[in-house]
Amino acid sequence: MSNSTLAGRRYSLGLGLFTESVKFFAGWILAAIVLAVVVPFIVSQWNSIEISAWAVAANVGKYLVAIIAGGYIYTLLPITVAQGMTRREYATSMGVFGLLWSLMIGALAVAGFLGERALYGALDWTQAIQQGDDVQLAIGSFGDALEFAAVYPLAYLLYFTAGAVIGAAIYRSDGGWLVLVPVIPVTLLADDAMTAGGPWGPGWLVRFVSGATDTWSVWVGVAVTLVVIVTGALIARRIIIDSPIRPKQA
Amino acid sequence: MSFSVSLRDVTLTYGDTEALSDVDLTLAAGKIHGLLGRNGAGKTSLLSLLAAFRKPTGGEVLVDGRPVWENVDVVSRIALVREGGDFDDTDTVKSTIETGELRPSFDLEYAHKLAQRFEVPLDKKVNQLSRGKRSVLAAICGLAARAELTMFDEVHLGMDAPTRDAFYKELLAEYMDRPHTVILSTHLIDEVANYLEEVVIVDSGRVLRHDDVEAFQGMGATLTGPADAVDALAAGLEVLAEQRLGGTKSVTVGSALDASARERAAAAGIEIGPVGLQDLFIHLTNPDRTGA
Repeated sequence: MSNSTLAGRRYSLGLGLFTESVKFFAGWILAAIVLAVVVPFIVSQWNSIEISAWAVAANVGKYLVAIIAGGYIYTLLPITVAQGMTRREYATSMGVFGLLWSLMIGALAVAGFLGERALYGALDWTQAIQQGDDVQLAIGSFGDALEFAAVYPLAYLLYFTAGAVIGAAIYRSDGGWLVLVPVIPVTLLADDAMTAGGPWGPGWLVRFVSGATDTWSVWVGVAVTLVVIVTGALIARRIIIDSPIRPKQA
Repeated sequence: MSFSVSLRDVTLTYGDTEALSDVDLTLAAGKIHGLLGRNGAGKTSLLSLLAAFRKPTGGEVLVDGRPVWENVDVVSRIALVREGGDFDDTDTVKSTIETGELRPSFDLEYAHKLAQRFEVPLDKKVNQLSRGKRSVLAAICGLAARAELTMFDEVHLGMDAPTRDAFYKELLAEYMDRPHTVILSTHLIDEVANYLEEVVIVDSGRVLRHDDVEAFQGMGATLTGPADAVDALAAGLEVLAEQRLGGTKSVTVGSALDASARERAAAAGIEIGPVGLQDLFIHLTNPDRTGA
C-alpha cells in the first residue's frame, strides 16, 4: 500500500485488507474446493452420494469468516492506531473489508453450489442439504441451487458482523467474551430465519434456535438478518471507537 | 511544523488505581523533551494519552492546541513508538515497515535506508528477530514516520550500546534536518542527557518537576578535588552521590553553590562541574524525600 491521503486511507486500507486476504487464504479456498469435489468421489466407492459436500464447505466458511473478522479487529486495531489512524477510520476499513469479503466468499459459495449441481447431475448423485437426522432438503435443478445459495453472501456478512462484535468486545475488556452469550443465538436465529437449510453447527447450539423461525418467510428472514447486521455493525463500531489500546506485555 | 503539547488537569485511572493525577503540563513545540520517572510513575500512561491510545478519565489533552482523541488531522502526525513496537509478529519486516505508509508523511525510502544501516533483514518475520533488532525496527518505524510529535517509550531496550548510540545520533540528525517535537522516555538518563533540551520528571502519577536541562544542572554541582578539601566544602550540603579514587574525591551536592563557596573551592583546587541528571533524578524521586 503506497502512501495514502488522509481522506482516502480508510477505504484503501479496507481494499488492501481484502486483496491481501484473498492472497493469504487462496490456498485454503482452493483446498476447500478440491475437498468438496474429491471427497464425494471417494465416498461414492462405498456409498451413494445423497448430501451436498459443498454445503459443508460453505457452512464451515461462515465460522471462518467470523473468526477472520474477530481476529483482524483484535490484531490490527492496535497496529493501525499506532500508525496514526483513528478508531473511526479503522472501523470504516473493516466495514469495507467485510462487505467485499462477504460478497466474494458468497459469490464463491453460489458458484460452488451451481458447479456441484452440474457435477452431481452428470453423475446422477443427489445434491441435498441435511437438516436433521432424517430430513433433507433436495436441490433438484440449477434454479433450486441458485435459490438456496442466493442468501449466502448475506449470511457471510451476518457472521462477519458477529465476529467483529466478538473480536472488538474481547479486545475492549477481559470480560468481553461474555458477548458470546447474546451474539451466538442471535446470529444462529437470523441465519435460521433466512436460510432454507437452517443454521449449521454443533447440534447443542443449533437446537437453541431450530424451529423458532419456521413460520417466517425467507424475506422476513432477510429483513431480520439486515437488522441484525446493521445493529451489530453499529455495536462493533461503538466498541472499537471506545477501546483503549492495551499496554504492551513484557 | 512541530506540535506543542498541553495537558490540563488530566487524570487517568485504571479501575481503582490512579495512574495520573491532576496533571498540568505544557511542552513547547520543536524541542527534545526527556520524560523521566521511576517504574510505574506514569510515563507510559502520559504518552498513551498524547497518542490517543487512551482517553483521559478527566481533563483535557491538547496537541497543537487541538483535542487529540479521534482527531485524524492530529493523530496522523503523532508517532508513539512503544518498546518492542506495535507489530503483527507474523508479518515480515518488509510488510511491517510498509504498514507505516498509512501515514501520508511516512518516508519508505528512509525506512529502507535505516533498515540497511541497522542490518535489519527485510525478509525475516518479526517474530524471528532478536529483542534488540525488534527494538531497532520499532525505532526505524518511528523515525521514518516523519511525525510532528514523535515519542519513544523505552524503545532502546534490547539494543546494544553501539546501536543505542547510533540510534540517538540518527534521531538527532533527523531532528536537525526536520525540526519537530520529540519526547524520549527512558531509564538510561545519562545516555540521553546531552540530547535533551527540557526534562519532565513524573513521580507517583504527578509532574514532579519540569524545566530546561540547564535549570536542572544548576540545581546542584559536582565537586572534584582533594578528599579533605571536598569534604570540608560539602559539609552542611545535601550529598547526592560520592566517589573516591585514592586521595581524590568527587561529591555531587543537591544545591547550587554561592559565590563564597565557589571562591573557597577555587582556592582549595576543587573543580566544580554540573550535576549529573541521573544523580539529580535519583535524589528528586527518593521516596524519603518525596514522602511517597
